[in-house]
Amino acid sequence: MAPTGQASRPRAVDPDEGSLRRWWAEIRQHDTHVGVLFILPFLVACLVFMVYPVVQVVRMSFYYRNPLRPDQWQFIGLDNFRAIFGDELFWDSFYQATIWTTSSIVLQALLGVAFALLLHYPLRGINVFRGLLLFPYIVPTAVIALMWSWIFNPEIGVLNHVLMTLGIIDENIYWFSTPNMAMGSTIALSVWKYTPFVVICVLAKLQTIPLELYDAARVDGAGPLRRFRDVTLPNLAEVLMVVVVFRTIWTFNKFEEIYLLTKGGPGTSTFNLAIYSFEQSIANLKLGVGAATGVVMTAMLLAGSILYLRVMRFGQED
Amino acid sequence: MSRIKLSNRFGSVTRRDFLATGTAITGGMLAAGYGGAPLRAQSTKQGTVRVWGEPGPYAGVAVDAMNEWASANAPGLKFEIETVGWDSVYVKLMTDLAAQQPPHLISVESPIAYQLMAEGLLSPVDDVVEKVGADRMIEGVSFSDWGAWKGQQFVLPAHHQPHLLMVRMDVVEELGLGDPDTWTWDDMLNAARTIQEKTDLDGIALALGRNLCTDYHFAALLHSAGGRMFDASNNFEVAFDSPATVEALEFVRDLQPYMPKGALEYSFLQVVDAMVTGKVGMVFYWGRVYGRAAEEAPDIYKAIQSFNHAAHPTTGNRFNWNDFQGWSIPEPNNPYVDEIKAALAYYQTKREWLVRYCHSLVPNVSPVYRDVVEDPTLKEHAFFEDKERTILTYYRDSLPHSSNTGNELRGGANPLAGIVHGRSILAQTVQKVVLDGTKPADAAKWGAGQLEMVRKEHLRLVL
Amino acid sequence: MSIRVQRDWGEIVRRAVRYVVLGAVTFVVCFPLIWALLTSIKPTGEIFTSPPTWLPKELVVEHYSALIHGKPMYFESGSDYTPDTSPTQHFLSWFFNSVVVAFGAAFISVAIATLAAYSLTRFRYHGRRVIPYLSLLGYMMPPIVLVFPLFLVIVDLGIANSLWSLVFGYVSITMPFCTWLLWAFFRGLPVEIEEAGLIDGASRFQVFYQIVLPSALPGIIAAVIFSVIVAWNDYLFARIFINSVQNLTLTVGVMHFFEGVHVNWGLMMASAVLMTLPLAALFMFFQRHLVAGFGAGGVKG
Repeated sequence: MAPTGQASRPRAVDPDEGSLRRWWAEIRQHDTHVGVLFILPFLVACLVFMVYPVVQVVRMSFYYRNPLRPDQWQFIGLDNFRAIFGDELFWDSFYQATIWTTSSIVLQALLGVAFALLLHYPLRGINVFRGLLLFPYIVPTAVIALMWSWIFNPEIGVLNHVLMTLGIIDENIYWFSTPNMAMGSTIALSVWKYTPFVVICVLAKLQTIPLELYDAARVDGAGPLRRFRDVTLPNLAEVLMVVVVFRTIWTFNKFEEIYLLTKGGPGTSTFNLAIYSFEQSIANLKLGVGAATGVVMTAMLLAGSILYLRVMRFGQED
Repeated sequence: MSRIKLSNRFGSVTRRDFLATGTAITGGMLAAGYGGAPLRAQSTKQGTVRVWGEPGPYAGVAVDAMNEWASANAPGLKFEIETVGWDSVYVKLMTDLAAQQPPHLISVESPIAYQLMAEGLLSPVDDVVEKVGADRMIEGVSFSDWGAWKGQQFVLPAHHQPHLLMVRMDVVEELGLGDPDTWTWDDMLNAARTIQEKTDLDGIALALGRNLCTDYHFAALLHSAGGRMFDASNNFEVAFDSPATVEALEFVRDLQPYMPKGALEYSFLQVVDAMVTGKVGMVFYWGRVYGRAAEEAPDIYKAIQSFNHAAHPTTGNRFNWNDFQGWSIPEPNNPYVDEIKAALAYYQTKREWLVRYCHSLVPNVSPVYRDVVEDPTLKEHAFFEDKERTILTYYRDSLPHSSNTGNELRGGANPLAGIVHGRSILAQTVQKVVLDGTKPADAAKWGAGQLEMVRKEHLRLVL
Repeated sequence: MSIRVQRDWGEIVRRAVRYVVLGAVTFVVCFPLIWALLTSIKPTGEIFTSPPTWLPKELVVEHYSALIHGKPMYFESGSDYTPDTSPTQHFLSWFFNSVVVAFGAAFISVAIATLAAYSLTRFRYHGRRVIPYLSLLGYMMPPIVLVFPLFLVIVDLGIANSLWSLVFGYVSITMPFCTWLLWAFFRGLPVEIEEAGLIDGASRFQVFYQIVLPSALPGIIAAVIFSVIVAWNDYLFARIFINSVQNLTLTVGVMHFFEGVHVNWGLMMASAVLMTLPLAALFMFFQRHLVAGFGAGGVKG
């Protein structure tokens, strides 16, 4: 787009048009004012749609609130926090959430890098494969949970049928029937759906690695594995770090995937903290306990992210 | 439909103009088209009456009926159905209440209605019962089963829906297992075993997952064994840690080898899937299955019949879990209470609407008024040809054996049941036995402990 | 000469292996969509046959036409009366709503984020280094907890049950990541041209329109696609913010084909296909930009 200068040059300020225009003109003259003006919508939106609700959640965590009685607020200090820390289910959920998050992220990162390497290689029609492999990312969770519960249905699902036909299994697998299987299946869903996000980010970075680095390594006699270890991986480190932070936050807080697939069952074996918080708020009619759980989760993620970024010395060179 | 709406809206303007000048001629002329409807618009309120209904066509039929009332009597009002899935009822309810904009009329599962009623969130409907006819109720039940609290009626019956023992008669007959209507628990267990061993079907499918369906299936066994969660006659003290509970849990455990292995994850959908796809000989289920089977698997449809549950060997009880579903009117911030009551009275006194309501999902949606059950047009439905006995069992003969977690052994509404279901306490108790191998007695203790917590936290509701 | 031929053979084999691996992986990953597609063109009676049929014996478009023409879906065997509430009749408006909400939210979110990112990278004031990090704090509070107070804000603004509520809801969950992405992207763009522009007497706004925006396009496209996907996927906000059936978006709407005891798989899968295809097309078309935008965004911390 070539600059078209004259057409959009500001018109002279008409003295009759009052203070608004003068204020506008003034703003445009001070560079910092322009900067503030640019960030203003962001700040306002953050304040209304993020800061305010977060403050409300924090506030609610100190109250007893029954959702069916919205008129009653009862301050109870730290009781909600005491309640969750004394609740075995909270700790179970925390433990399970950690397993679910860690396994999902590790698998997403591994598969993400593998797929990205596969898709990075120039082949005819690679763009089609790229599009198709990234597709799970765009299927709405609500739909995919139903689809999975059908495909994974032990008796009439197509998956067991396929595995049987191929001779891989002798009898039906009960995908959600035992705690371990259910956890595995929810992790599989998370990996299936969100690996593409990792692929996009890694693929993007791969494309910026100068080819000369590979040539140099090749000249040094490095095989494909060495080249991957010495050139690719170090270059990917940073993007992987960022992706891991984002995906950890998002996965730790995930609700829909688990809720729609297993409702936290069998028993409470696939509860994570988001489900725990939901059950406390809705089924147990204690909004305060649900909010307190949210606050604790936020604190955990915050502490975790800061620690992680510190340990990884992230952004230090800047 | 949209054309009718348009003309009504236009008409309403005309009517109000004329009413303002004291002439009701135009209104009368317009309203005259609706037969017995009053000659004059009764309400000039404008707006949308939000109506919650379960997934399924029936609430939509009722709303159509109420709109028929509105078009003659409150032309500025439109009743609008909002279908709220079973999973979302609580979320929607609490967010809408918190925002001071609850729906204006709701039809939800009875345990939730009982809870709202005890919370004082509903408007009493005794006057509507009067208009509808207090003596119309089908034999064996009363209005209070749908929701009465401290002497006032809060829920107006819409329908009832029990789950029954649904049997593949082709299989049972071939194996010579006798008439399921005369079975005891032992016979049913034996039938399940025989089907499992002699055919390639599984014997029986109950839901054993962590969900509502498991709660409802187990509740029927619990009640038949003489057990209950709370004692309504004794301030809702917890009565779950009892030999009856243990017996019911043991029975589920005994049945488990003859269930599909996947039953541990079954909910409503999977139980029906198992039956309709011909994988299983028996299920506990509501009447919805027949519609689906007729559409997807005509052979299965032909082969299935439903019966009252097998009788408990010593108590002789054959309880089902029956959802006494009705209409309730949330009171907070509801400007349309009078109009809703009038509309409810209108549709509940028009027998053709009540028949249409039942016809929209045969035989899931059972009529509640005697005159509707006896109405000859009710039988003008294809399913009556070969399923009359089954349909009448759902409609009528199940009622003496009806119970509900929110109204255990019909001893009085229990406002705690909604919370119990929300937390899947019964299902978790069952899962302790069938999944973790916990001893039934210990599982019963665990469940009782959970129920005790619910009671303690919500004591104000029951005292 | 012979050496070259040999090398080509090696290359061909290597390529073939890659194609096979790619094909296998793609098949596994895309299996649910393939299955959805196959199911959606089977007649209702065939969907539940056991063992399942792979290719439909009879190819039908009944599920698609039911969605587009709003045919009743409940079993009405023997019933003369059909209520005026068949979920299918709303499918097209749900689709329209989803498009409006997803693109509306993406537009607003990315517009705000672009301005913010430009400001954060080109101006000097206190806090400009912390803001991108702070904005991520919003992600640490789980949405399932945040949604309740957010709903109250929506009600106070008087936009509950309207598409605006969802637009703002999705802006709130996409804006922080978009800002982060564009912030990183803008830091990677050379400032020299902009400075030259400023020296030449162009205003900040001119520079922004004529120099910055065009060169930030890959980042902007990536942010838009990210936002559209998040908004298009959401279930929670749409379930809570919207009451009227006709104002729902696709994710919540199509759940009406799931009755608790019965999923109308034909309708469900046909809608799954229709819900996925537009985004898939968008994805394929802009995939290159998406990758470029995410690349720069991820690289810089």
